[in-house]
Amino acid sequence: MLRIRNLRCHYGRIRAINGVSLSVRPGELIALIGANGAGKSTLLQSICGLHGQWEGEILFQKEPLKGLKPPAIVGMGVSLVPEGRMLFPPMSVLDNLRLGAYVRYRRRENREIARDLDSVFELFPVLRERAQQPAGTLSGGEQQMLAMGRALMARPRMLLLDEPSMGLAPFIVRLILDILLQLKEQGMTILLVEQNARAALQIADRGYVIENGRIVLDGPAGELLVDQDVKRAYLGKDYREFCEGRT
Amino acid sequence: MPVWNEREECLGLEERVQQQWERLQSSLNRAHKNVPFYRNHFREEKIDPAQMETLSDWERIPFTFPRHFGENYPYGLFAVPLRDVVRIHTARGIELKPIVSGYTKQDIGIWREIMARALTAAGVSRADILQIDLDPGLANWGRHYKDGAESIEAGVIPLTLLPHEKQLMVLRDYKTSVLITSTSAALQLKDLLFRANLNPNSLSLKTLILVGEPTGAAVQRRIEEELHVRTWVHYGLSEVPGPGLAFQCEERQGLHVSEDHFFPEVVDPETGRSVPEESEGELVLTTLTTRAFPLIRFRTGDRVRIFSKPCPCGRTLRRMEWLPHRTDEMMIIRGVKVHHRQVLLLLSRFLGFSPHPHRFLVRRREFIDTLEVWLKVDEQVFSDEIKEMEKLCQRLEAELAQELGVPVKIRLKEEDSFSNVGSNGAIEDLRP
Repeated sequence: MLRIRNLRCHYGRIRAINGVSLSVRPGELIALIGANGAGKSTLLQSICGLHGQWEGEILFQKEPLKGLKPPAIVGMGVSLVPEGRMLFPPMSVLDNLRLGAYVRYRRRENREIARDLDSVFELFPVLRERAQQPAGTLSGGEQQMLAMGRALMARPRMLLLDEPSMGLAPFIVRLILDILLQLKEQGMTILLVEQNARAALQIADRGYVIENGRIVLDGPAGELLVDQDVKRAYLGKDYREFCEGRT
Repeated sequence: MPVWNEREECLGLEERVQQQWERLQSSLNRAHKNVPFYRNHFREEKIDPAQMETLSDWERIPFTFPRHFGENYPYGLFAVPLRDVVRIHTARGIELKPIVSGYTKQDIGIWREIMARALTAAGVSRADILQIDLDPGLANWGRHYKDGAESIEAGVIPLTLLPHEKQLMVLRDYKTSVLITSTSAALQLKDLLFRANLNPNSLSLKTLILVGEPTGAAVQRRIEEELHVRTWVHYGLSEVPGPGLAFQCEERQGLHVSEDHFFPEVVDPETGRSVPEESEGELVLTTLTTRAFPLIRFRTGDRVRIFSKPCPCGRTLRRMEWLPHRTDEMMIIRGVKVHHRQVLLLLSRFLGFSPHPHRFLVRRREFIDTLEVWLKVDEQVFSDEIKEMEKLCQRLEAELAQELGVPVKIRLKEEDSFSNVGSNGAIEDLRP
């Protein structure tokens, strides 16, 4: 569904992504894990057209995304849940959700939009309760749900999530991940970028490990979860556990 | 015949190309990041892994040769810390230093998968009893086959070094239905059975997996007719990383390469340049998923042709024809690779001097392929007691056989027996 080949991104003279190839098959949940500054968010922004300075090839459903503006990419079925939620705090929860369907209102899909709003409320009942409340007054977990709901309102074929667990309590993280699993079961294709490698790999089908803008490891998520290198770098294992004994 | 891992073995062409490219890049990045040998090797050729964008860029990457294993003995080519390694294998190198390879827990799992798919393609299932009979030089393969067969829940009689008579007894009494052995050992099996007064019809054996040597259709047919079995050829590397990385399916038109784990290329052995599709050349392999011991563009010395036309079995893994004669001076004896330089080095070590002249031959002695070493009787070897000379021969035979993992016969000869020895000292093949 998504195919990236030899992606390179620059911020001026700084190269953030240095020859990355990655793919997501229909219905897959893929985790992209890596440390701060490894290039994870830049990769998502490049897919969505938010970061224009890239070389290489990004194909979504065999169509090149090069040169397309973000609304066109959303229109093709790619929705981003950005890092830090990026909600419109003074606007109500309902209006934030409606904004997610912006490109569809222009296509006069009002009836379908109303139906989708219902399904978002079913997925996140708390958002129905808070529908008229300004988004800025929601808790962190609720804001994250709103950001996901807003992305779903564009009726995407593929959902990109940038650090959805950031700053959330563990039980909220679990809730968010359960919802991602539900979406996957409904057939949604998901690319999940996370620093919380364990949480991401626990629900993913496959994973990629990115370091300094390069993919250094990929494989089934179960294999990466037990990989010693991944454990050392991203799963917060006690360093002594690895250093004692053999060298 | 069932397919073990349909998703991976039957992946669509576009997805396969993408998967291989992703894994080539991450493999290269891992090798560059974690193995000083590769980093320096690439630096010498001014290769930046990040600049690899096409297969023609890939062809600029320098080859890895068998000599590099010896130069980096023992752990120099490992890409993970030693504490992540759960299995260490030793194989003979081309000189005195052995090749040491390591496997992480994931690597062992990957090999289990590779072996399971190769065995499943040969119709092996949980209903089978599988016996592994390989020469000591291929002991590493025995372990991989055992793991793979266990993962498909077949009953396994692991590789045990038994005399031929005992192996035959196990074959008959334990009702072995699948035998893994080298092609030359399979060719000798009928004679050994007859000598032991055993009729092949009295055995439960129905499948023979032939490893270690290129085996043509005619030889396969001959073994099948003689032993009333079906045969399947598997290709592997005895140095690293293991057996069965290419395997025959029921169509018998070449061997499917497990391309999700290995990237095969075919190059001209002289120039090192890629040859056109379906042309003959030397097989070059890159590991795509290996963690502990990655290989980047390893020159195997095996001569092959690779073709991509679809196989009726449904697998999309490209197939290769494994051709006789290697591109180097390595000799394959009962599936085990032996190099004349290595034999000479071992002889020099045991004797305390370099024997000259000498002659190395491969002969079939009493149905068994044997390395025959001719040494000149001179003052260094000569003794006025026949018993002493016999003792010397026996000691050399035992020590060489132990080191090389193949049967060895030492013969002491007069000077005129060496008159027509080739200048490079390569092993001469006198097998029928």
